[in-house]
Amino acid sequence: MEQKVLLVDQQKCTGCRQCELVCSVYHTGASNPSRSRVKVVKWEQVGIYLPMTCNHCEEAYCVEVCPTKACHREPDKDNRVVIDKKLCIGCRTCIIACPFGQPFFDHQERVTVKCDYCDGDPQCVAFCNVRAISFVEADRAQMAKKKEAANRLADLLKQARG
Amino acid sequence: MATESIQPIRMTKYVSPQQEWKVIIAIYLYLAGMGAGSFMIGILIHWMGVALNPLPVPLIELFDVRLDLAKLPILWGPIMVSIGAPFLILDLGIKWRFMYACLNPRTSWVARGFIILSVFIVFGLLILAKSLWPFKWLNPESGLWLIPEGIAFVFAFATALYTGILLKATKSVPLWNTPLLPLLFLTSALSTGSMAIILSTLGTGLLSYHSGAMKVLMVGEQIFVVIEGIVLYLFLSRRYKASEQGRESVRLLMTGKLRYVFWQGIILLGFLFPIVLEWISKHYQSSALLFIAGLSLLTGGFFLRLGLIQAGIKDQIPMQRLVEFQYGLIKIPK
Repeated sequence: MEQKVLLVDQQKCTGCRQCELVCSVYHTGASNPSRSRVKVVKWEQVGIYLPMTCNHCEEAYCVEVCPTKACHREPDKDNRVVIDKKLCIGCRTCIIACPFGQPFFDHQERVTVKCDYCDGDPQCVAFCNVRAISFVEADRAQMAKKKEAANRLADLLKQARG
Repeated sequence: MATESIQPIRMTKYVSPQQEWKVIIAIYLYLAGMGAGSFMIGILIHWMGVALNPLPVPLIELFDVRLDLAKLPILWGPIMVSIGAPFLILDLGIKWRFMYACLNPRTSWVARGFIILSVFIVFGLLILAKSLWPFKWLNPESGLWLIPEGIAFVFAFATALYTGILLKATKSVPLWNTPLLPLLFLTSALSTGSMAIILSTLGTGLLSYHSGAMKVLMVGEQIFVVIEGIVLYLFLSRRYKASEQGRESVRLLMTGKLRYVFWQGIILLGFLFPIVLEWISKHYQSSALLFIAGLSLLTGGFFLRLGLIQAGIKDQIPMQRLVEFQYGLIKIPK
């Protein structure tokens, strides 16, 4: 089965936070962005918005550090990394370990939560009016995009260093 | 329906330290480290057969058995670790699930720590219980007791080291991600542990101020403090050069909002006061000054854990860094 991933186009994002709202409603029933699994990070002074979601990393630090195996991978479901709420003890080690600032502590449920692709139909994708987030197959085209981004970063680093 | 608090759009700044682990974890790390360190020193005193004064306390009987309190002031370390462990449970989101915490020892250091601390507490308390009750039916004079004592010693060492490994294993905080951190916590465990043993043996009269064993113990403690100071210097200087976030963490500690914790809590209470007061107490033969020095050192040991936990700044998110470069929001120093 082809693995699918969430792809974010930062240049399209307007920072409306609709994704946060629908994610929160879908997962918790509450219209509360602070409980959503996607977070919009912003640079207010220049008006840049970046929706941050879990990358479901190949080498996931959250899975590695979880003491209870609550945080685990599901290879048959888009190879996603999910947290089993029934096993989570709320130690928050995964939050500290994740380099992408991802799992979030839900203060209502007292456990750590993260993106689970809404069981194959991500609501952030369905409700994003400007199509800044898409759910696509992680095929060669995406690899090319990643390489392009990496090259762009390398060029910028070279320029910055003179 | 109850209202829920709603946060504004988050303005993520990579210079903000982590907010997940706070003072409760510092208390846990401190009690575990100090308790394990004091047990290591105590069991070494026990193994070396140091002559101890009789305790000036009334005899206590429990279930018609007279308790032997002679070794209590040197073997109380497991009690401290037993008091510290519930602090970790207090910090959990769902506290009653703490027993799940050993399900993934293959990769998780939290799970390994749960096992290490449990083994140490069980064997440490067994050794303490053996020193209190005669356990005649278990032949307390038998050389076989060296086996559980050895296991307790090894797991005490592992506990002291583990307190640093727990932080190091999270990887994403450059301040913590160094082998020097477990070494720093180990030396701190030994310095605070030996000082705690000095205070408890001196306070109970188990060892007198002028006894040879006390002198050796004090020299050992001073050596541990000096080694701890050297390791702290190496730790901070290496972390300053390690990465942008490592540098920010060290700045936060030394000149930022944690400067009072660092200069007054760690340096003044943990190093300068004890060294100076111990020197003066030696000069004036004053055990009262030694007590003040000891309490100061023990407080400094706590602030060391607190400061390092609160100064932990995570690595910047790669995408954020990409955006910042792309829009020229940050410049790399040439």
